[in-house]
Amino acid sequence: MKKNGYLSVLTKGIFKENPVFILILGTCPTLATTTNVVGAFGMGIAALVVLLCSNILISLLRRVIPDAVRIPCYITIIAGFVTVVQMVVQAFFPALYEMLGVYLALIVVNCIILGRAEMFASKNTVVKSALDGIGMGLGFTLALCAMATVREVFGAASFAGIPIPFLEEYKIAFLVKAPGGMLVYGLLIALVCALTNGKGPKKKTFSCAGCPSAGYCNTGSCGGEKEEV
Amino acid sequence: MKKSIKNVLVLVSICAVVSVLMAITNAITAPIIAKNESANANKALLEVMPDGKTFDKVDISMYTLPATVSEAYRAETGGYVFKLTTTGYSSGFVIMCGVNTDGTVSGAVCLASTETLGYEKTFGDLLTGKNAENIDTVDTVSGATKTTGAYRSAVKDALNAALILGGGSVDIRTEEEILADNLSSALPAAEGKFEKLFIVEELDGVDAVYKAINQTGFVCVIGEQFIGLDESGAVISEVSEETGETAEAAIAKILATETTELTLSDYEGLPSQLVSAERTATGNYIILIKGAGYGIIGGDDYHPASGEYIYIRVSLTKDGKIIDCLTVSEEETDGVGSACADESFYGQFVGKTEETYEDIDAISGATLTTDGYKKAILRAFTCVKIFEGGVEN
Repeated sequence: MKKNGYLSVLTKGIFKENPVFILILGTCPTLATTTNVVGAFGMGIAALVVLLCSNILISLLRRVIPDAVRIPCYITIIAGFVTVVQMVVQAFFPALYEMLGVYLALIVVNCIILGRAEMFASKNTVVKSALDGIGMGLGFTLALCAMATVREVFGAASFAGIPIPFLEEYKIAFLVKAPGGMLVYGLLIALVCALTNGKGPKKKTFSCAGCPSAGYCNTGSCGGEKEEV
Repeated sequence: MKKSIKNVLVLVSICAVVSVLMAITNAITAPIIAKNESANANKALLEVMPDGKTFDKVDISMYTLPATVSEAYRAETGGYVFKLTTTGYSSGFVIMCGVNTDGTVSGAVCLASTETLGYEKTFGDLLTGKNAENIDTVDTVSGATKTTGAYRSAVKDALNAALILGGGSVDIRTEEEILADNLSSALPAAEGKFEKLFIVEELDGVDAVYKAINQTGFVCVIGEQFIGLDESGAVISEVSEETGETAEAAIAKILATETTELTLSDYEGLPSQLVSAERTATGNYIILIKGAGYGIIGGDDYHPASGEYIYIRVSLTKDGKIIDCLTVSEEETDGVGSACADESFYGQFVGKTEETYEDIDAISGATLTTDGYKKAILRAFTCVKIFEGGVEN
C-alpha cells in the first residue's frame, strides 16, 4: 500500500477492499441494521462520519500517541466521536435514532473503525487517512444499502419505506429476520467474490500490526514476526 | 519513568479534549432532544385533542378528582386531557380522553387494555362530541356491557374532572358515599359503620332507619333529612320539633318491638316454601320465605343452575301490606339474576299489597329470577291470610 496513489486509497474501500464483503468487518451492524434501506443508509453515513473524523485525528496524533497506550487513545477518540454523532442524530434525526437503536452507540466497537485507525491512520498522512476514511465509509454504506435493498424489497415488498405493490403478495418475510440476513450476507459475499474472481486483497498486503495472531501466523507481510510493541 | 509519564499525559489530554468536544455537542443538542421527547409524549395527547398544540401537566394532587383520573394535562387552548385508569372486563384499562372548554369530549382512545371483544378500540368515537348531559344517550354495546360501561363512566369522570379543574364543583361521590357521609354526620359516634334496619312496624313519615353497628344509636331518614338519635332513642341532631318527634316515635316503636315465633304446624295449608314466621306485639308478621328462581328451575350449558333458592324476608301488616322486604341470600346468575339482591329491586315491594305487588320493574334478562321472586311474595301474602284465619288453603 506504500505506493498507492490518492485515488486508489479512496476507491479501494468501495470495492476491492470493501470492509463488509471482502474484509468481513462490522458484520454485527451489517446484519442488524439492514432490514430497511433508510436505516442502512443512516448507519453507513454515521459510521462514515465517525471513521473520517477518527482517521483524521488519529493520523494527526500518530507521532504524539505512545505505542503503549495507543489502543485506549484510539478508543477514547472513537467513542468521543460516536457520542457526538449519536447526540446529533438524536437531536436532528429522531426517527433514524429510533430505528438504529443501540447499534448507533455500538459504532464504538465497530471493527472497521478501530481496524482502520490501527492499520492505516496510525501509519499514513492526514490526507491519505481522510481519503481512506471516506472510501471505507462509502464502501460500508454501499454494502449496507445493497444488502438492505435485497432484504427490504424481497422481504418487506418496499423500498426506503415506499411500498412496491406488485411484490406485496410474494414477499419473503424470512429475509427481514436475522437468519434471512445471514443468508443474504452469504450470497452477496459469494457474488462479490465471483465478480473479483476471488482476487481479494492479497494477505501479504495487510499490515499485521493489529492482528492478534501475528505471532504465529506466517502468511502476512510480517512473516510471523510480530512487530515490536 | 519518563516514558510512563508521557503515556499518562497523552491519554489524559486526549480524554480532556474529547470531553470538551462532547460537552459542546451536548450543550447544543440537549435542548433539541428534550423538545423532541416532549413532542413525542404529546402525540397521544394530540390524538384526543388535535387543536391542543402544547400541553402542561397538571398536578392532580392539588384537586379532589374522580379516582379513575391518573394524569391530567392542560392544553394551550384551555381544554384538558385526562389519562384514566379503570376496570372493564379486566383491570388495567387505560383511556386517554380530551375535554374541550365547552365541556364536550374532544376525543377518547384506549391506550392499553386486556378487554376481550375489542369494543374499547372503537367505542371512544361514539363518545366524541358528547357532554355531561347527553353522554348517557350513548348505549353500551350489548355483550360488552362491562367494557363499554366502564369506558363511558371513565369518560364521565373526565368530564367531571375538567369541571373541577376549571374551578367548578361537581359531586363526584357515588350514591353509597353520599349516604355514608350523611349517616356519619348525623351520628358521628357510630364511626361510619351502620346497618340498615329491617323494618317490622309501620313507621309514619320515616323512610328508613339505620342502626350504628357499635350500638351508639340510630339514624332516621325522613325525606332529605338525616336525624341522629342516641341508643335510648333521644334526638341528638338539630331538627325541628315536629321532625324530631316523628323520629323519636319511630325509634320508640322499634325499641318496643317484641316478636313471637309462630309454630308452623299449627296452621294448615301453609306453602312449603315458608321457612319461618314471626308475629310482633302489634300484630305484624315477619316472614322468611324461599323463592324458586333460575337457581332452581333454570340452567343451561353456559350458566348452570346453582340449586339454591332465593331467601326473602318480608314484613307485612295483618292486612297484607308490605312494610319491608329484603333479599337474605341468593345464588342466581352473577351479574344478571344476582340483581335481585340489590335494594333497587327488592325495595320496590315496600308498600305493595296483593293487588299491586306485580307492578314492579323486572330484572332485565332475568325473567326466571323475577318470576320466582314475585311468586314468593305472593305466597307471603297467602301466609298472612292463613295466619289471620282468613283463608282455608
